[in-house]
Amino acid sequence: MKRCANPMDSGVLADYWRAALASQEEEAVEEHLFTCDGCGQRLREVIALAEGIRALAREGSLRMFVSDAFLKRAAEDGLRVRQYAVAPGGRVECTVTAEDDILIGRLAANLSGVARVDFCMCDETGVERLRLEDVPVDSETSSVIFQESITYAKAMPSSRLILRLVGFDEGGTERPIGEYTFNHTRSLPG
Amino acid sequence: MDIELNDADLVRQIGVGDRDAEGELFRRMAPRIRLYGLRHLRDSHAAEDLTQQVLITTLEALRAGRLREPEKLASFVLGTCRMTILDLRRGAQRKERLLEQFGADLIGSPQSFIPRLDHERLTRCVQSLKERERAVVVMTFYDEQTSADAANFLGISEANVRVIRHRSIHQLRDCLGVTV
Repeated sequence: MKRCANPMDSGVLADYWRAALASQEEEAVEEHLFTCDGCGQRLREVIALAEGIRALAREGSLRMFVSDAFLKRAAEDGLRVRQYAVAPGGRVECTVTAEDDILIGRLAANLSGVARVDFCMCDETGVERLRLEDVPVDSETSSVIFQESITYAKAMPSSRLILRLVGFDEGGTERPIGEYTFNHTRSLPG
Repeated sequence: MDIELNDADLVRQIGVGDRDAEGELFRRMAPRIRLYGLRHLRDSHAAEDLTQQVLITTLEALRAGRLREPEKLASFVLGTCRMTILDLRRGAQRKERLLEQFGADLIGSPQSFIPRLDHERLTRCVQSLKERERAVVVMTFYDEQTSADAANFLGISEANVRVIRHRSIHQLRDCLGVTV
């Protein structure tokens, strides 16, 4: 395979695969791909990555922060979304069943003046065990939408989990945003 | 064939009935057409059908000496792809007749066309991204959000989304050991 003199950016190839390019740009990409097998190979790898990530997202097994667009897409895909919305200082009784595909905690938060949000997972006594820094927040709905791994949740025994949001202003000063208690009852056998 | 012909020479050789050159045309163009088909038809079988139709149409044209500018073979094949997809969408069905006439044995199998990634490894690699990086990657490939949508959600600029995406893809490449 000849070396490409002008390799295309993998982001552009990703946009091409997603049909997210303007028609003129798409035509230019296709003309290049019809003369460059090196970029064709890279496009195949981008496609593999895209399809792999799509499959992972559909499994619900990633621990991550999502948007309402993600939940809409999951519903369109026929996935069953179990969602718990909690206010700061609030608590919720929760579980997960064998039929659930996606597990979501929607944490309402006052995000005014906050430049960065950290997400902390605490044990039942409130001791921080894990901190995820600078997490995405949904500023439109003023909330943090957290997906717990459904695989992990289905295996989890009955327990209490405390989530904590911590904000930082532009100067880096930390302040608590809210604590959210999840009383998980295992409903699956085993 | 031991010597790699350029496109123009390939066209000329096919024009004088060189069967090896026809085989080289198939080997050279089939992967490109298949990729185009995957992108526009989103189905590997449909992409394979497109590949067969376009190669056969191209071969018909080259055998008949209808390509006036041989150096523009790639453009001709791309144009044929575009026209064929339009035809397919209009429901035109020439495939069976053409396959009977030419056969499809030179085209090759699509089985290993798209590399398979190790699922467990991909999970670990995606989970190892920073939160915003993972969000951008999922928004890009699952939610099918535009850069503008992602930028709006994350409260950053579109340019920043593109930078994060570029960086994340390369980080995943390194983690997976592929050459994206």
